Amino acid sequence: MRDPEHSNIASALGVAFIAALLLACRPAVAHIVDGSATGGFVGGFAHPLFGLDHVVAMVAVGLWGAFLGPPAIWLLPITFPMVMAIGGAIAILGVPVPGVEIGIALSAIVLGGMIALAASPPLVIAALIVGAFAIFHGHAHGAELPPGTDAVAFSVGFVLATGLLHLAGVALGLLTRWPAGRTGVRVAGIGIALVGAVFLSKAI
Amino acid sequence: MSGLLQAFVDGLINPFTTPAHLLTLLALALIMASQPQRLAVLFVFALALAAGFLAIVLAVETTPARTVLLAVAAALGAMVAAAWAPKLLAVLFAAIAGAALALDSPPQAVTLAEAYATLVGTAIGACVMLIAVATIPGYANAEWQRLGERILGSWIAASAILVLAVQLR
Repeated sequence: MRDPEHSNIASALGVAFIAALLLACRPAVAHIVDGSATGGFVGGFAHPLFGLDHVVAMVAVGLWGAFLGPPAIWLLPITFPMVMAIGGAIAILGVPVPGVEIGIALSAIVLGGMIALAASPPLVIAALIVGAFAIFHGHAHGAELPPGTDAVAFSVGFVLATGLLHLAGVALGLLTRWPAGRTGVRVAGIGIALVGAVFLSKAI
Repeated sequence: MSGLLQAFVDGLINPFTTPAHLLTLLALALIMASQPQRLAVLFVFALALAAGFLAIVLAVETTPARTVLLAVAAALGAMVAAAWAPKLLAVLFAAIAGAALALDSPPQAVTLAEAYATLVGTAIGACVMLIAVATIPGYANAEWQRLGERILGSWIAASAILVLAVQLR
């Protein structure tokens, strides 16, 4: 059995090491960098953070996962980025997906609604719902990949920011351990659904 | 700093600073950590790396190494996310990753000696990173730490899939 304190220190060092590696990332010399703020890792990291519709939906994925408990708490944040990347790839390859903006707005409404109603569908259904909406989010991001940007650094930043938004949602969702927190999270679900409704009215 | 030393340091930091290499090595290290025989994976990777460098020395022209590297990163990331890592696949991907990483690291040196110094630096940097990162999960025994590894794997796969699409566009 390992010493828990030693294990915690080692884990913290491990996380710090990986974070340092990711932060040390710089664009490969062979790539073209446009030199603007949207280029490379910083541009990719900032990209998901500048769209309220994206932000609330990402947080909602984590919140809903936390609400559903294990294994959804980790399965949904694992499913979303991978399916989102497929959606992004579809956009990059020039394949159109109809109603992307409507799909993104609907994702906030549906996911927010699920949280507000404390809905607990089977895990497969929850993963399918999240995965379906991930296609729309990924397509929107992929279509907006700035030309000339270092694609690797941009994608790493973009996926990292999305994942951290999920984790923020999971962290907030842990409040559901307490009755008052559970109510608060459900109210947050209503707020997310309302934001989605506003974006849906603009998209239609 | 002398040209030779500078070339060596450039090679040493190359796996840490080239995002495609970093993604692949992180994913391979996480897979390696899940294997009972980690040294076998490391050995195959190092051997393939050496073979790739030999190909560079023999003046192999442009290869699709970057694309292959990203495909391997996507596959390895998905395997980490799924917590599924058969030994045969782990060894196979270690071999492909080693060769592709080497072929994607042609030295930009002026002299032959500097070119060799860069290649040696890259080989040491890649292996050190692989060993260092693969050691971490051994200390991460808590459930949330295991889940963190799987989430990291999904992020690696997602990033690699996106970049692959850009390369294939």
